[in-house]
Amino acid sequence: MRVLFSKALAACATVWVVGVGPAMADTPVTYTDAGKALFRFVVPDFWAVRVGGAREIEDTNLGDARAVARVIGMRPVTDDTVWMGFVSPEGVATIEDGVRYLEDIDKFLVNDADVTDISNRSIGGLPARVFRGTGRRDGRGVNFTATVIDLPRGRVAVAIAVMREGADPAYVDDLNAVFGSFRAIR
Amino acid sequence: MMTKTFLKRTLLALGLGGAAISLSGCDGVSVGVGYGYGYDPFYDSMLWNDYYRNDVDVDIDIDRPDRPDRPDRPDRPDRPTKPDRPKPPVAKPPARPRPPVARPPAARPPIHRPAPRRR
Repeated sequence: MRVLFSKALAACATVWVVGVGPAMADTPVTYTDAGKALFRFVVPDFWAVRVGGAREIEDTNLGDARAVARVIGMRPVTDDTVWMGFVSPEGVATIEDGVRYLEDIDKFLVNDADVTDISNRSIGGLPARVFRGTGRRDGRGVNFTATVIDLPRGRVAVAIAVMREGADPAYVDDLNAVFGSFRAIR
Repeated sequence: MMTKTFLKRTLLALGLGGAAISLSGCDGVSVGVGYGYGYDPFYDSMLWNDYYRNDVDVDIDIDRPDRPDRPDRPDRPDRPTKPDRPKPPVAKPPARPRPPVARPPAARPPIHRPAPRRR
């Protein structure tokens, strides 16, 4: 019994550390590629972060391996109606390239994507192009905001924010706070 | 003998109760990880893209160059940046009373609120 109890406690502790730990108050996250810091942003409180890494994934039917850059995804701990992710793909140097990258990724992210607004903005003091639109995913409508941010030294950051139908509009502030905290590391 | 049985039962009850409480701590609702990352559609989709494929949608993407092997661009000169003024912990009171209507922000944030549901 004692062994079971201590195992349960250890399991709980692990779950807390892994699941909740990264989303504590005003938590800066730095996106790095091959040991080089590219940009950082602040994760909202009570959000969970998922950090990937460079790897290759393969289409099992085509046997087609593709390199994938690190994707950092995050969402509120208790709500899966909101999601946001960052990636800085290799070989994508300009905003125009970034837009093409987005075109090749959007069909996987949402179905029936309908871009309703395209604008040039400044995010973290850097030029950026912002695409807003709607689409469908898993039978539910989604609002998305896809952003290409021009980083120094020939890189871009691609940021995608998704709000499913029925998401609490208050999360807009959280998402904008992440954009507001975005800074390139020079 | 009675005391021993009583002690055993108490320990068992306490142990079971403790285990139940601690296991319920692992419940998805209380710590919000029940959803976990088993199915994370947007994350998975962001990994998967056709950008690095040259043989896809030939009709649309005509003569796409081999993207990963692009020539290195020369380093851009760093843009001049204003040094961030350190903010003191206590803000100065405003010199003049603030007008009731604030100026609109210079740059709009990139996210808009979702449109009301269509009927």
